[in-house]
Amino acid sequence: MTAETGRAAESTDDVEQAVQRFLAARTRTTWEPDRDLFTGGGLSSLFAMELVVHLEQTFGVVIAGTDLRLDNFRTVHAMTALVRRLRAGGGGD
Amino acid sequence: MAVVTERPEGPIALVGELVADRAGGWDLAGVLPVELLRELGAGGVLCAEVEAAYGGLGLTSRLNGELTACTGTLCGSVRSVMTSQGMAAWAVRRLGDRAQREDYLPRLTGGALAAVAFSEPDAGSDLSAMTTRIHRDGDAVVVDGGKVWVTGARYADLIVVFGRCGDGGAAVVVPAGTPGLTVRPVPDPLGCRAAGHAEIGLDSVRLPAGTLLGGAGQSLPLLVTSALSYGRISVAWGCVGILRGCLSAAAGHAGSRRQFGKPLAEHQLVARLLAELVVAEQTATRVCEHASDCWDAGSAELVIATVLAKHVSAGNAARGAASAVQVLASAAARDGHPVARAYRDAKLMEIIEGSSELCQLMLARHVLETV
Repeated sequence: MTAETGRAAESTDDVEQAVQRFLAARTRTTWEPDRDLFTGGGLSSLFAMELVVHLEQTFGVVIAGTDLRLDNFRTVHAMTALVRRLRAGGGGD
Repeated sequence: MAVVTERPEGPIALVGELVADRAGGWDLAGVLPVELLRELGAGGVLCAEVEAAYGGLGLTSRLNGELTACTGTLCGSVRSVMTSQGMAAWAVRRLGDRAQREDYLPRLTGGALAAVAFSEPDAGSDLSAMTTRIHRDGDAVVVDGGKVWVTGARYADLIVVFGRCGDGGAAVVVPAGTPGLTVRPVPDPLGCRAAGHAEIGLDSVRLPAGTLLGGAGQSLPLLVTSALSYGRISVAWGCVGILRGCLSAAAGHAGSRRQFGKPLAEHQLVARLLAELVVAEQTATRVCEHASDCWDAGSAELVIATVLAKHVSAGNAARGAASAVQVLASAAARDGHPVARAYRDAKLMEIIEGSSELCQLMLARHVLETV
């Protein structure tokens, strides 16, 4: 299910939609861009790690060090912002 | 089942040469020769996935799995130290910044030994109960608290300690000998008796800020899950090794010992134990291979596949080792025998890095999230 998202997603909209597609496929639920996955959505820290690996694989970024904050994965918007920042070269280290 | 598997022959030979048939003696003595561990470490085999740029062997998860299984067949205690060292290196690679990777990783592939400290007297599976605190004090960090069952801590030059930090979590690298750090070996553990399990005390341990991996404010559950995932796949492959050792010992005994005029293996109830053992070994191998392939492909499935591999392999090893003791009977019913050692070591594998029950809860939650 990662192949369809591909590495070609360039714009914010593309990243956001790719993240939403992954979440929908993985959880069988649709996620509004600002909905909290962990507090309101009840997803686990194990799932947060899946998100880390998925974003790395799909968007060709490395999420390490100080970027391993739950707030970076809390919503679709937060993940989109993280991916855009890392692609622009603003890694946590 | 004659599938030809690629194996890291050089590292496997190094472990084979240094461990040889000495594991039984180490188990009885409850201690490993630290110089031997340093030699293994300097050969890169204790954290074999570290990149060549840092002096590592750069093995894939799959190849490191085969190395871990081969080590696990020979000696559960050395394999436990390997799991700890690999987890420490993984934590540095994952949580540390570039300067920390350049500082620590060449040491971990150069003979320095490392351990990772998670559990506390009142916080095993329940991370929310963790009380060890890491706080900044000017240019320093100060660590207060205590940890239990830290595998390899008795031998470690560096201990990666997880704790609370501000509103989140952090990990800090504590060198042995730092004032305020105490290390007390656990007397007479049930299994992996020479793995150097210890309790550690941290009383106002003061360190330079550069020892704090990745700064602070990270999610403690996410940090621990990340580090433990490496530990789980390593333990899972170690269990494959236990099963291979038990299978070989049981087959050898059942094929050669004769009772009632024929080999034990021709007695059907014994033959069934051999069948169950090979099923256990093969299924554990397959789930480990799948999980490692997920790691090597960078697939998000690695997270749950690793929990599955750990759960299946540990349970299979515990049951398989019990079957092997049953086949060998009185021949293996004493401490010092490889199968008796496997039986004790395997039981511990159902407890560490997430007990079987915790693995089942994680698997059940995954079902609820996805199906």
